[in-house]
Amino acid sequence: MNVGKGLNVLLTALFITLFFAFLFGPLVIMVITAFNSSVFPRISPWDCFTTDWFRTLAGDRMLLSGLLNTMIIGAGVIIVAVPVGLAGALALAEASDRLRSILYTVMIVPILLPGVVIGISTIIFWNWLSYRLGDLEFLTDGIFLSILGQVTFIAAYSMLVFTSRLQRYDFGLTEAALDLGATPGQAFRKVLLPFLRPAIASAAVLAFLSSAENYNTTAFTIGAQSTFTTVLASKVRYGINPSISAVAVIIIAITLVAAIINEVHGRRRHALLSGGRARARIMGNPILCIAGHPAFVALILLVAIAAAVVAGGRYDSSVCTARILEEKRALQEKLMQQMTPAAPASETTPAPPPPPTSPPSTGGGLNPYSGVFGGGSLPGPANPAPPATPPSPSATSSPSAAGQPTNPYANVFSPGNLPGAAAPSSPPAPPSTSSPPP
Amino acid sequence: MGKLFAGVAHRHGLGVAIFIGSAMTLWLFVLVVLPQIAMVTQSFRFNLPPAEQGGPADVWTLSNYAYFIFGNGDGLNSVDLWVLARTIGVALFVTIIDLCICYPIAFILAHSAKGMSARLIVLGLIVPFWVNEILRAFAFRILFGTTGMINETGMALGLWDVPFDFIRANVALYAGLAYAYILLMIFPIYNAVEALDHNQIEAARDMGASWLQVHRRVVLPFAKGGLASGATMVFMLTAGALAAPQILGGPSSLWFTQLVYQWFNDALNWPRGSAYAIILLVVCMALVLLGMRVFKVPFGAIGK
Repeated sequence: MNVGKGLNVLLTALFITLFFAFLFGPLVIMVITAFNSSVFPRISPWDCFTTDWFRTLAGDRMLLSGLLNTMIIGAGVIIVAVPVGLAGALALAEASDRLRSILYTVMIVPILLPGVVIGISTIIFWNWLSYRLGDLEFLTDGIFLSILGQVTFIAAYSMLVFTSRLQRYDFGLTEAALDLGATPGQAFRKVLLPFLRPAIASAAVLAFLSSAENYNTTAFTIGAQSTFTTVLASKVRYGINPSISAVAVIIIAITLVAAIINEVHGRRRHALLSGGRARARIMGNPILCIAGHPAFVALILLVAIAAAVVAGGRYDSSVCTARILEEKRALQEKLMQQMTPAAPASETTPAPPPPPTSPPSTGGGLNPYSGVFGGGSLPGPANPAPPATPPSPSATSSPSAAGQPTNPYANVFSPGNLPGAAAPSSPPAPPSTSSPPP
Repeated sequence: MGKLFAGVAHRHGLGVAIFIGSAMTLWLFVLVVLPQIAMVTQSFRFNLPPAEQGGPADVWTLSNYAYFIFGNGDGLNSVDLWVLARTIGVALFVTIIDLCICYPIAFILAHSAKGMSARLIVLGLIVPFWVNEILRAFAFRILFGTTGMINETGMALGLWDVPFDFIRANVALYAGLAYAYILLMIFPIYNAVEALDHNQIEAARDMGASWLQVHRRVVLPFAKGGLASGATMVFMLTAGALAAPQILGGPSSLWFTQLVYQWFNDALNWPRGSAYAIILLVVCMALVLLGMRVFKVPFGAIGK
């Protein structure tokens, strides 16, 4: 019996460990790749520790302007979705049983609608309306449409947050206020709204987070403009490099700081509210009182981050990267000398396999080539390879990683193998239907 | 509705009642119903240049739906039909995987973990989902790439000696999709399982039930609503996912939302894009309703 119980505990622990490894493993690896100087995000082979990818990021105008749009849309979504969600929750609370189940179903459906359906229906309806009203420009503005499209389902999230809070509200309090002479409006403002304040805050945070990370709907409604997420998505689709990992590092850092502060705040509040010994322990000891305060924890974390940023800004990895580049060039030359007799053969090598033609491909447009070029040594199919492409480092430095089939192609583009005039005319054609704007 | 309005006005005041009424109208009518009607209308139209709109050629048509089934006339449109079948099949598969992963975690969280460790588990569950969906998919791209961690480890251990293209084989996509909406599976199940009185489990154990029987006869029937809620959300979101298939999908296989995206944004054929979106919506909704009928779960269980 005891053995069985021990086994049970062991299995439980193992399962939880595996589960969290699945949850955090990919993120941890992504974070590490942000500090490797290799142009393809990976952790082995490890080239140099570098902070250059953050500098690349800071100079990325597209991403920064997308961030601004994301902030505007997020603010708009909060302003509309939170009151709408509150209204929905109040209507549910007041409705009769039969009406409540109908209303609830109607309100929950937007959560289940696929994002593409919401995006398409929003853009079609408002375009039609704008056309009917005589081409009103602002009705088809990307930011306006994105706010409306996102509110459609984010309002339902807010509704769920408010509903769960309202379930703990004693409507007798409102009745009491009315009996004591308050007008219904006063009772609402002075009794119910203060009770809902924590829910308003969490609904707003949830609304902003869902808005900022939404892609499925926004990809349609944003039109010619862009948000942080759509810029990120086009970067990932058309050529991946570690500066995207650097974005992840920043977001994860912000998330962790927020989570830690929230946890400290929650625990302190819990201790203070529970009163008695736990409260006395905190308030009676000045060190604990300060050290456990969320503001103090936030200050420490901010100082730590500032120190990391300054240290990272001063860190110079150019010596190391130059050395690695030199090593690769040496290796490349050695390989080229070995390959020289085989050069005519590699010239007649057929071009990379044509992209699948049956379905027009937007998604994995990059994929057919990612292996061919030894994984990301080229920025992506958007840039036709110039004739004098520098020796592709990843393909040569790690033959095992680049794989057997890639080697012939890796050398097709090395200057030595290309008879000058013929080369520029035959860059690898990007997949026809997905050729992205440069 | 009128009674509801009057009730709210009586208790919270006329101002609040008008606020609730107008907010609900804006949301459910202007943002949900009218756009859906516009999309359905659009899907029965030809894709005409602006000059011909409203002209004699601007008539109702079923051609956009016919194209999905028959393509350009000769036989069945097997490519698109297969994409839909595959999308639905994979979405079901991902839902089942998530159910299997999440049920034990939700149960442990609700009935075994106490205090500190429970808080930590919840925090650990939430934190990864504050990270952008695109970045989560990107992380799987790194992990499963030809020079990624999985290939390096596998080859170092001697499990295989040539890098395996997980992206082309769609393994990365399935893993990424299973990862993407795990949280939406855990919390509904957790809410349902947590409401179960632990004494009921103890009683079943005392009467000699094995753990398997306890789960099959006591916990699972009790948590049915939560399981259905989580499964519905994961299924709908997976079938409607766009980011993960665009980033992780293999080059020769498409997700149905990608077809919608192409008709809409690349081919600029809005009517056909709408028709495809409606097809996706109708098929998914029909499956969800069928599932609820089979497992005898009311629709109201979703989201709780």
